[in-house]
Amino acid sequence: MASIVVRELTKRYGKLTAVNQISLEVEDGEIFGMLGPNGAGKTTTVEVLVGLRDADAGEVRVLGFDPTTESVQLKRSIGVQLQMPTLFPRLTVEESLRLNANFFPDPFPAEQVLEWVGLKEQRKVYTYKLSGGQLQRLVVGMAIISNGRILFLDEPTTGLDPQARRNLWDVFHMLQKMGKTIFLTTHYMEEAQYLCDRVAIIDHGSIIALGTPNQLICDHFEEKAVELSAMDGCDEAILEKLPGVTKVQAAHNQITLYSTNVEATIRELMQLEAENRLAVNDLAIRKASLEDVFLKLTGRSIRQ
Amino acid sequence: MKIFLNLVVATLKDMVRDKMTIFWFILFPVLFMFLFGMIFSGGSGNVNFDLGVVVEQPDFFSQAFLANLGQVEMLTVHHGTLEGELEALGQQKRNAVLVLPQVQFGSDEEIAVPVYYDASNQANKVLIFMLSEIFNHVERGMQNRARIFTVDAKPVQAESLRDVDYLLPGILSMALMQLGLFGSVRLVYLRQKRILKSLGATPLPRTHIVFSEIVIRLLMAAVQTTLIILIGHFVFDVKIVGSWWQVLGAVFFGAAVFVSIGYMLVTFAKTEESGHGIIQVVQFPMMFLSGIFFPLEFLPAFLKPVVRAIPLTYLGDILRSVLIGTPYAFGLTTDLLILGGWLTVSLILAIRFWRWE
Ligand SMILES: Nc1ncnc2c1ncn2[C@@H]1O[C@H](COP(=O)(O)OP(=O)(O)OP(=O)(O)O)[C@@H](O)[C@H]1O
Ligand SMILES: [Mg+2]
Repeated sequence: MASIVVRELTKRYGKLTAVNQISLEVEDGEIFGMLGPNGAGKTTTVEVLVGLRDADAGEVRVLGFDPTTESVQLKRSIGVQLQMPTLFPRLTVEESLRLNANFFPDPFPAEQVLEWVGLKEQRKVYTYKLSGGQLQRLVVGMAIISNGRILFLDEPTTGLDPQARRNLWDVFHMLQKMGKTIFLTTHYMEEAQYLCDRVAIIDHGSIIALGTPNQLICDHFEEKAVELSAMDGCDEAILEKLPGVTKVQAAHNQITLYSTNVEATIRELMQLEAENRLAVNDLAIRKASLEDVFLKLTGRSIRQ
Repeated sequence: MKIFLNLVVATLKDMVRDKMTIFWFILFPVLFMFLFGMIFSGGSGNVNFDLGVVVEQPDFFSQAFLANLGQVEMLTVHHGTLEGELEALGQQKRNAVLVLPQVQFGSDEEIAVPVYYDASNQANKVLIFMLSEIFNHVERGMQNRARIFTVDAKPVQAESLRDVDYLLPGILSMALMQLGLFGSVRLVYLRQKRILKSLGATPLPRTHIVFSEIVIRLLMAAVQTTLIILIGHFVFDVKIVGSWWQVLGAVFFGAAVFVSIGYMLVTFAKTEESGHGIIQVVQFPMMFLSGIFFPLEFLPAFLKPVVRAIPLTYLGDILRSVLIGTPYAFGLTTDLLILGGWLTVSLILAIRFWRWE
């Protein structure tokens, strides 16, 4: 059964169409990720789904509820972490968790959640004194403590150190095993690839790809990636003519070649180097990743 | 209900842990009370009493007595008729008026010496005590009889109250106004910091947030009132005439009025700072044009319409009457109606124009 059903959802801010006719379904027990550049419309989508903003058009059902008209019932059965952490500054970590727990019918024990998000030692610290990453873990914890059937997490791991991030991934997997559905947004491709059963890539308010991470990679890349750094720069036009190469991405001296015939490509590269037309360094071959898909679909450079 | 109480407790913790809250809403009015109480309760340091003396029949005794009085440094003695001196007492030009009766020696009866004094000034009790001592002294010098005179103290309530009496309800009015007005800025702060939005993503109804803020304001109003009244009573000897429930009723009503006005005012503010600005612009003139710190008669006539429009004027009127028993300037019904009007109108406007984001 689908926990979340979205059909042709549109949301505008004045003239700007932040979300443009997106449709998706999230299954019960699924971890669903939404990827997209800054300003793509991820946060807007989440806020519509949890009933904080009304859609301009389209249909939304979350656990069978319409977030616009049945937001109270809906909010009782979901946990939400918004993108920007905002808390009462002079409550402690533990008090903040307990305050949130108090709003829900069947919350997790605060003790348990403190353990999950790794804030046991900070339990007595005022929230305004927490570091950025600790604060982030706290707001994720405040969503988790709801024990809601769906967790909506808007960039839950932004600002976390690698250990803390991996730690949260484990917690999310554990929650999934308990039967929770998780809808999250992220900018970390390895996170999406590792954590999400399916991802949607959204850009300019529209979904431009949707599927399992592997499916997306296969759909968009038969090729493998050849990464190298060219010491004295190089002519992209020459690289594009190499055998098997379908696409060249160059940023400074870092070059990625996508090739359907890696052996031929490399052989020719070596040839170029022998002729002193190119100084290759750090040659590496790898399978295409979700990041490659993301960059291919949304353009190379980050938009502000 | 449990959810609500927990929210109130959490909000209260968040607020009182901010030392600025404590300073502005609790300490500041208390300091104000102390400071102005000290200034206006008057006369510490160079104490001087104006004593009116009415001599019914000049004789040996009255001469001896007056000579003794002359040696007391703190006394300025005025002579006059009973009517004249009592009038001066009423105008607070005398602290006390003493009537020296004709003395018939040889009689065993004690002779009552009437002393009229302004009972609203506690310092005058000292004067009464001093006068008794002087009589004792005079008696001992004259004969060996222990008691001839008894000082018959006759308290007279002066028409105008002492400044410190007037000040207490004024400070309480000011504190309630500031609590209500400035307190409402917190909702703008919560919105600006997106705390309202975060709470909005939980099942907590938004109205709970506002109601918990209001409940906390009322609690703080009760604390303020208690402190100010205690200080007024025990330090500056202000007599509170109203009962507790009258005082609390007036205080809660006043707090509610100004909380609503505050919420109405901050609907126009986008940020915490602009909220403070708006409130400041409104509260400052209100404080001085409402007559809470000095009687309305002192204000120039052209300001009267402004005075009559300001809600603080009416809260001041109620509190003065309830606390120290001055007669209502406008009548309780008028006061309540006008304050109720402000409450209703500002509540409607606040609800109409407040934006949650
Ligand atoms: N309250 C608002 N009023 C007007 N425009 C808004 C508002 N919130 C967002 N926008 C605009 O809508 C677009 C989508 O914003 P949104 O926050 O959904 O992006 P996002 O995908 O979450 O980006 P990010 O990765 O930076 O968090 C952006 O162009 C943004 O400027
Ligand atoms: Mg966002």
